[in-house]
Amino acid sequence: MSDVAIFTEGLSKSFGAQAAVSQLNLRIQPGAVYGFLGRNGAGKTTTMRMLLGLVRPTKGSVRVLGLDPAREPELLRILERVAFVSQRKQLYGWATPAELVRMNKAYFPRWSDDAAARLAQRLEIPMNMAFKKLSIGNQTKVALLLALAQEAEVLILDEPTAGLDPVMVDEILRTFIEDHVSQGRTIFLSSHHLSEVEQICDWVGILDEGRLLLESRLEEIRQEFRLVIASGEGLPVAQSADVVSATTDGRFRSYVVARDAERFAAELRGQGAAILEISPLGLRELFLHLSRKEDPCTPGNAGAKAAPVSSFS
Amino acid sequence: MLLHLNPSSGVPLYLQLQAQVKQAVAAGALRTGEALPSTRKLAAELRINPNTVARAYQDLERDGVTRSVPGGGTFVADGLPGLLKSEKVKRLRPHARQLAVEGRQLRLTREETLKLLEEELDKLGGQA
Repeated sequence: MSDVAIFTEGLSKSFGAQAAVSQLNLRIQPGAVYGFLGRNGAGKTTTMRMLLGLVRPTKGSVRVLGLDPAREPELLRILERVAFVSQRKQLYGWATPAELVRMNKAYFPRWSDDAAARLAQRLEIPMNMAFKKLSIGNQTKVALLLALAQEAEVLILDEPTAGLDPVMVDEILRTFIEDHVSQGRTIFLSSHHLSEVEQICDWVGILDEGRLLLESRLEEIRQEFRLVIASGEGLPVAQSADVVSATTDGRFRSYVVARDAERFAAELRGQGAAILEISPLGLRELFLHLSRKEDPCTPGNAGAKAAPVSSFS
Repeated sequence: MLLHLNPSSGVPLYLQLQAQVKQAVAAGALRTGEALPSTRKLAAELRINPNTVARAYQDLERDGVTRSVPGGGTFVADGLPGLLKSEKVKRLRPHARQLAVEGRQLRLTREETLKLLEEELDKLGGQA
């Protein structure tokens, strides 16, 4: 288990009758950049908070770098080795970024002054202005600086690029790769910016209503996943494990197939269907297909209630 | 090195990288002995995981396009002198098959498909 950076098994959290996260199994490898995707309220933030011991799971287990955040001494070691940037940047408003750097470094054994100085310059952060007077974008950059300079083994980032302009986003992505991933360290991030995720991440997990709809390597999605659009009467609600999603729009049915799309299309033709298209699909399209609720036909779609599809390889 | 990746094209990034390096070598934009950027540097430039670049580099070396010096980087190899013609043909055949299949599926004539191939060869210029 300790060869996995982040591990969850059957992880669940309910707030009263409301299930925020259900039966989540994650295996995030060291050196991975894992994009944790989902609509607002899907359970991403709750999951991240459980990894950091900020929320107690209702059921299931969590290990971060092999350590259990539910046990006090282990949690302290996690917090030394893992950096977290939450969506709400709650830092002392009166303090300047330079003061925040001085306050933070004492807590982290691996803190790098060099990295802090380099990031301040590269991200163009006004280091001597009170935090509360900074723009949202600059506040975000300060939070990222404080996280990156910890030289943590794992970065957990809840929408790290929200509110940043495209040039700054690009600079942040470069920094993630150069200063963190290149050293074999891990990133677990949530984001709604799918084009960024598609570029920087090598793994994605798609969460909906607390349930993991899909987890896959992005290279596998590029190579194997195909959108098959068919038309005809009485087309099957595909039960095959390779069909990740099937949705209907009038006489047309769209299937997202995880592998062997040509063979699947041949089967449909055998049942009298006309195949209109077999095409690769980008992350945005995949996300939209999986998140459709109006006609859930397979376990993969958001509205369905059965087991998720996972493609470990 | 000027590389451009399209993350949502349905082609794995490591294959896009490989293809672009091969193309640059074939077109003479990268010359024998020239150094490729380090895995980390190229990964940072492209904002992708270094593992993806490493995979592309490994395959390029396996295909004899580049050679790596332990601890000293990756360089464009001086062709594939050791490779038998039959081996070269064997490596190219899957691509030829792919072209044939795609051409047929798009209902292009034999001549049209061959003409496309010739045009691409012409674009590479020179070299016998």
